Amino acid sequence: MTASAMAASATTAAPAAPMLEVENLEQRFPLRSGIIDRLTFEGGRPRLVDSVVHAVNGVSFSIAKGEVLALVGESGCGKSTVAKSIARIYTPSGGRIRIDGEDVGAYGHRAMLPVRAKMQMIFQDPFASLNPRQKVRDIVAEPLLEQLERRGEARAKAKAREAAVALLERVGLNAEHAGRYPHQFSGGQRQRIGIARALSVNPGLIIADEPVSALDVSIQAQILNLMMDLRDEFGLAYLFISHDLSVVNHIADRIGVMYLGFLVETAPRDRLFSAPRHPYTRALLSAAPTIDPADRAVEIELEGEVPSALALPSGCCFRTRCPFAYDRCAAERPTLQDVGGGQSVACHLIDEPERDRP
Amino acid sequence: MGQILASQFVYNWRRNVSAIAGSAIILACVLIVLFGPLVAPQNPYDLTQLNLLDSYKPPAWIEGGDPRFLLGTDGQGRDVLSSILYGTRVSALIGIAAMLMACTIGTVLGLLAGFYGGRLDAFIMRVADVQLSFPSMLIALFLMSAFGTGIDKVLIALTLVGWVVYARTVRGSTLGEIQKEYVQAARVAGLRDAKIIRRHVLPNVLTPLIVIATVQVGTFILIEASLSFLGVGVPITQPSLGLLIKNGFDVLFSGLWWTSVFPGLMIMAMVFGINLFGDFLRDELNPRLK
Amino acid sequence: MDHQTAPAPLLDVRDLRTWFHTFSGTVKAVDGVSFTLAPGEVMGLVGESGGGKSVVGFSLLGLIDPPGRIEGGEILLDGEDIARASEERLRRIRGREIAMIFQDPMTSLNPVQTVGAQMDEMLRLHTDLDEAARKARCIAMLESVGISRAAERLKAYPHQFSGGMRQRVVIAIALLAAPRLIVADEPTTALDVTIQSQILRLMRRRIAQTGAAMILVTHDLAVVSEMVDKIVVLYCGKVVETGPAREVIADPSHPYTRGLVDSIPNPRDRKPRLAQIPGAVPDIRNLPSGCSFRPRCPRAQAKCAEVAPALAPTRGTLSAACHFPIVEEIAMTGGERA
Repeated sequence: MTASAMAASATTAAPAAPMLEVENLEQRFPLRSGIIDRLTFEGGRPRLVDSVVHAVNGVSFSIAKGEVLALVGESGCGKSTVAKSIARIYTPSGGRIRIDGEDVGAYGHRAMLPVRAKMQMIFQDPFASLNPRQKVRDIVAEPLLEQLERRGEARAKAKAREAAVALLERVGLNAEHAGRYPHQFSGGQRQRIGIARALSVNPGLIIADEPVSALDVSIQAQILNLMMDLRDEFGLAYLFISHDLSVVNHIADRIGVMYLGFLVETAPRDRLFSAPRHPYTRALLSAAPTIDPADRAVEIELEGEVPSALALPSGCCFRTRCPFAYDRCAAERPTLQDVGGGQSVACHLIDEPERDRP
Repeated sequence: MGQILASQFVYNWRRNVSAIAGSAIILACVLIVLFGPLVAPQNPYDLTQLNLLDSYKPPAWIEGGDPRFLLGTDGQGRDVLSSILYGTRVSALIGIAAMLMACTIGTVLGLLAGFYGGRLDAFIMRVADVQLSFPSMLIALFLMSAFGTGIDKVLIALTLVGWVVYARTVRGSTLGEIQKEYVQAARVAGLRDAKIIRRHVLPNVLTPLIVIATVQVGTFILIEASLSFLGVGVPITQPSLGLLIKNGFDVLFSGLWWTSVFPGLMIMAMVFGINLFGDFLRDELNPRLK
Repeated sequence: MDHQTAPAPLLDVRDLRTWFHTFSGTVKAVDGVSFTLAPGEVMGLVGESGGGKSVVGFSLLGLIDPPGRIEGGEILLDGEDIARASEERLRRIRGREIAMIFQDPMTSLNPVQTVGAQMDEMLRLHTDLDEAARKARCIAMLESVGISRAAERLKAYPHQFSGGMRQRVVIAIALLAAPRLIVADEPTTALDVTIQSQILRLMRRRIAQTGAAMILVTHDLAVVSEMVDKIVVLYCGKVVETGPAREVIADPSHPYTRGLVDSIPNPRDRKPRLAQIPGAVPDIRNLPSGCSFRPRCPRAQAKCAEVAPALAPTRGTLSAACHFPIVEEIAMTGGERA
């Protein structure tokens, strides 16, 4: 049985807790600026205004064990922020995050440590994601070493290093590489090292933030194949962040489309590519360049650019660029509605399909 | 690539005359610091070796010179060459020790400011700004007149003057490093802040400090010389080069020039060598010039 | 004028060699690249990082700085060899004859000058229009690349534009002096998909209108397949395959091109594993003997280690530098690791 089939049966038959459950996740960043920039005058009275970046605005989804959920969207849509909030690189401003059934929302550093054995992360930049002054074996061993030291195991360092060497071999490097430094490796090899590091604690969930977008095409394929092999072997669930629809189409079981910090549509892969409902999803799919001329179907061409996350539009986040927008879109913020077949869409057109023509 | 960089460093060094000259001068100074007292013809602080009859002998090659005193003698009959060999040691060690102290304190404060940001950062950096707005000589003079003289006071004064440059540089590099994904990866691995700073940030912010530290040793030697010249530096029992210049200065215009000119030349050579080598390091280590 | 079967090429690059002499050895970034470009033709220069595609672009504009040097070969623009032109002559050529569009618009726009001033300078250098005419031309050009309120925007600085808008400005500047050749180096790589498609549409339309020829330097085969007439594939500084865009992408004859095309996930033909090219691009200072692609090639044989293959016709309209090209017209079903 393939992992995706396992995932499917897990969601339908077994009521096991999902690997990851995110509810209403919010992430805001106060924009630090000087007093002069913050000073405004309202009705002749000076007032200090704090600007806040609304990076993620109430995102909910879940990932079953062994499932691959991809979040797609353009830069600034908040997809990487979602990843980093879940990985606790940022402290979420609101919402719930349950990892393997455990609500980690209020966890501090110490309480979070055991959870980190269940969840690890792969990063985008193969050059910045490895400490240039650390040997590869120490890089790969680091997450495991923390766990072993937490459990107070003897010979923690030696054990972690042994495990690191085995992992290097599993990801296609070899034991001789363990004593080298990151700069002695190519981009693809470095990404393999990053994957080995994430695997070291034997996690059930891997958050992959654009893991192949910095790589050459032929190397991308190597890394994607490796990630899929590892998923089959270890039953991993992935939260896969990407802007590349062809990559997502290849790797994901389910896809969520984000725009301006909102999840606007989520659906099983084939359904999303064959029957996208949200106007933004449709625009995104038709804008993506493809090598197959038969795929060329320009449905929606978008004009303009993404609004600022400092001042979100009222109502629907996409209305400023949406060819179908009407008065309700400015007045009322659409929420995700189930439209059947595992697909959910946040768009008023679902209620008024007759407006769905340019 | 590490080896390539290392050998490229050597390759460039061999093609850079001022780098070689600087290195030679520094090497000579290091030898003097290590072995100066062993080769000095005389221990200038051992009063039993001094003879007032030998006072103010000119350098050996000048008429009236004494072959025992190559660079002449001072008013107490002390051999100037020996004084320089001993004084260089005092000057260089003060410069290096003060640099190490300033570097340590500045690096720690810079790491804390850059890593934690917020109020701590604002506080440390405002203190640094205030520090920078005073001339370093003034701060040193103030401290020395308040707490008296002595090598420890000189070291404190120089450290207080010198930490700011490290703190600022390290803070800047730290801000850059903590944005990088390997620091985020360390967080995901569950490392405590202290460990992240020690294992991941610190090793990656040290490179630019090498240049600063090198040049600062030269600067500190000069400041210490100035302080000693003004009479607020090292005590008379452990004369540095600056104090030697001061001691000879009173009689400089009586034609007894050698007692201050030779120590002066020694300071000049030492600082010049350090700066030559520092400039080379700066060009080599600065990624923007590559 | 006689009508010839093939139009005289606008650009004829012959055996171009651009090398960089570094401490750790000579980097033969471009080593014997030849191609021709007809007036109005759009060509894609593709390959992975280290292939030398950007260096070709920079060589055409004479923008190679030491330790790099054009070691040999000819760049014939309308028959004039600009590889050996003086800096003075190159300055006249840049902008008027050949314009360049860079990946990062911030590197080609001056951050402390208004967009209007930068556009005006271009026209002052390359035309004899008076001030009013220059301004009118700038406004018309900005409008033609989809920038509204153009007269106002002339007074804006580059940082006041978004990334997509900035790239539009760069395109407007490139087109101002009506160059006959545009070299676009990864013009949309830094942009988002929806913005990328806007810019590509714009470039295609504007270039067709002006009749300029274009060289699109990119790693993205999908972008290339939508934009260009002809493709030149580079690997380790050499041309490995060339031909009409459709044919090269649909059924390439060089194993490297084949591997590149196959490693792009294809939604219509989804396989559990992607085809992949094993290994990585070799160190260009230390290339393997014979064919540079040999260590990664599934078709390599003994001969490949001995003799470097030359570019030769393989099948239909394709040419490839390969001793054992894929001549049968069946898509390889490779994919397992070699």
